[in-house]
Amino acid sequence: MTPTLLGQAALNGLLFGGLYSLMAVGLSLIFGVLRVINIAHGDMMVWGSYLAFLLALRVGVDPFVSFVFSAGFLFCVGVLVQRGLVNRVLDAPHEMQILLTLGVALVMENLALVVFGPETRRSESAYGLLTVWLGPLFVDVPRLLTFAVALLLALALYLFLFRTDLGTVIRAAADNPYGARVVGADVSRVYTVAFGIGAGCVGAAGALMSALVPFSPASGFPQTVTSFNIVIIGGMGSLLGAFLGGILVAVAESLGAVLLAPSLKELVSFVLLVLILLFRPQGLLGGRAP
Amino acid sequence: MARGRTVGRRTFLKGAGAATGAALVGFPAVLRAQPKEIRIGAVHPVTGPGAIDGQASRLGAQMAADAVNAAGGIKSLGGTKLVLLTGDSQTKADVARTEAERLVNEGAVILTGAFYSGHSMAMVPVAQQRRVPFLIDISAADVITLNVAQSVKEGKQKTQYVYRNFPTTTAFGRKAIQFMNEVFKATGTSPKRAVLMYTNDPFGKPQSEGFIKAHKELGAPFEIVEVIPFPEVPADLSTEVSKAKAARPDIICPITRPGSAILLLRELAKQRVDIMGVISPGSPGLYEKEQIGALGKLIEYTMDNVPWINPVSPKTRRIAEEYAKRSGGKIFDTNSGYSYEAILIIADVLERARSTEPDAIVEAIRTTDMPDPIMVAAGPVRFNDVGDNANASTAMIQILGQRPLVVHPKESAEAKLVFPAPKFWERG
Repeated sequence: MTPTLLGQAALNGLLFGGLYSLMAVGLSLIFGVLRVINIAHGDMMVWGSYLAFLLALRVGVDPFVSFVFSAGFLFCVGVLVQRGLVNRVLDAPHEMQILLTLGVALVMENLALVVFGPETRRSESAYGLLTVWLGPLFVDVPRLLTFAVALLLALALYLFLFRTDLGTVIRAAADNPYGARVVGADVSRVYTVAFGIGAGCVGAAGALMSALVPFSPASGFPQTVTSFNIVIIGGMGSLLGAFLGGILVAVAESLGAVLLAPSLKELVSFVLLVLILLFRPQGLLGGRAP
Repeated sequence: MARGRTVGRRTFLKGAGAATGAALVGFPAVLRAQPKEIRIGAVHPVTGPGAIDGQASRLGAQMAADAVNAAGGIKSLGGTKLVLLTGDSQTKADVARTEAERLVNEGAVILTGAFYSGHSMAMVPVAQQRRVPFLIDISAADVITLNVAQSVKEGKQKTQYVYRNFPTTTAFGRKAIQFMNEVFKATGTSPKRAVLMYTNDPFGKPQSEGFIKAHKELGAPFEIVEVIPFPEVPADLSTEVSKAKAARPDIICPITRPGSAILLLRELAKQRVDIMGVISPGSPGLYEKEQIGALGKLIEYTMDNVPWINPVSPKTRRIAEEYAKRSGGKIFDTNSGYSYEAILIIADVLERARSTEPDAIVEAIRTTDMPDPIMVAAGPVRFNDVGDNANASTAMIQILGQRPLVVHPKESAEAKLVFPAPKFWERG
């Protein structure tokens, strides 16, 4: 175990963390605003991946460009799912909401299986194998690009929420839906937009991920679990918490692979989860709406 | 009173029972002598994470059943046709078992499957309890047949209904070391340091242990300097590869699944790991069409010690051509091949058993001596006292010109192996 190896692991984890953050931010936004737990989150991500895969294969669009289309497509899917389904169970108990989104997850996964088949896929990117060497450390270019895009998207989301009127209304509806209605906010529309944006975030993450990690219709659920883990560690409903949580979990997993056996790296993130639940149940930055 | 003449409730029930009994016992006895069709239950993971392999297996089995039927069915039973009842385990062991039960209820007289050792193990009780012979097409864990053989030996079970036509984990490990030694000798090379990387699941762990055990027992010029397990499905293998690189290996011995294989090979290239070659002790993910398409030149020269179709057998070549047609251009590979061969063995067994009675089938399985297997093997299909085909073997294959080709053993080789392989970054 050399310092180089540790440094490399920390760097890999940091750059991979952007993706985790983007996934988690989407989930956190949906929960923060609608108080709905979206079990279909990972499957939405897989659909984002497939769209990027198809665009790369058929049209030759690089996943680092086509994430825009994936985000747009998933935004529409999110809007439809919210309007058609989630809207009906907003006041229902959590377990009913979970059952509904679980149903959506099953439909999306099996639809992907029918449409794309069970094979493991990966998007081709012109930057796929590029590396930059910093002395003994190497920087994986696709991972660097992913990190940059994730950072930009998170920043854009922040500006949207805090610098635009619609963003302000979204935050108001998240804080106090009743109060927001009283002052004339169209809360139902806000919910639709928030769900769409959450789905769009994870769609973009899916497109970016497709260039880094092979995926198949079955890879949705593990991503849902990872997203939840991050959101709980970061603090339910806190966007900054989700963003930092993503990076924290990725770095912890990467260092865990070096310091412990690599197959224990997932254990690291779940141990983190247990510790957070025991000692800081509201999460690192939890307790506040976005 | 009138009891003697009228039919009382009890008398009626007795009579009805006897009649039903006669219907149940008598007529099937007639049918059994000349069954209209013979149902074979084939359980494979057709959906879920194992779907690619399961679908290949199902198609292989179906094609074999079609071929047997086209050639006139089971002749000793008057040309009875085989009907493949298909079960989908959804890549879950408990479902494999319930599917096996369902197929037996639907009239399967013999079972085959189930790809994952855990699934085959879950089907063993069904075979033993319901007295339905089970010929495992693919599953490597030694214990599956060993446990049953053991309990028959100890008198806990009367008959062994579970047999296997696939190399065991022990055989995998021993063949890997044997072939690697022969390959190094033939190429005049002697790698000194090996890093073993394996997917830490019920397939990867025993497979890696078998390799380490065989390495200890048989000896090899190289030392296993680092063993790196990784979770399946991994999101990222960069740290694992950095760790492997730090061990300065001459060869990397990976045990992967399709997802991890793509990550691993790309990462080896990205991090410029300087090795003589990638030689797998035996794993999927390193030879499938999709994998070759996804990895291109990065998968070139990768060697894998796998059960494989015999490329120099004309019979196998004919099947491979037909398979490509029916699958939309896929390669006739280990999974489709072994599932195909299992049905051929079942047909051979039924031909000799002249019956679908379980013990007659078992007797015929035990005396199997089927020459000219379609898979690379050390001899004809023969089952030993544990219930395994003692001649089931692996082959060393290598990706050459974007195709998986057998390069070792020599009797089955279709191409000359390339070792050491050119570096990842010198491949144009």
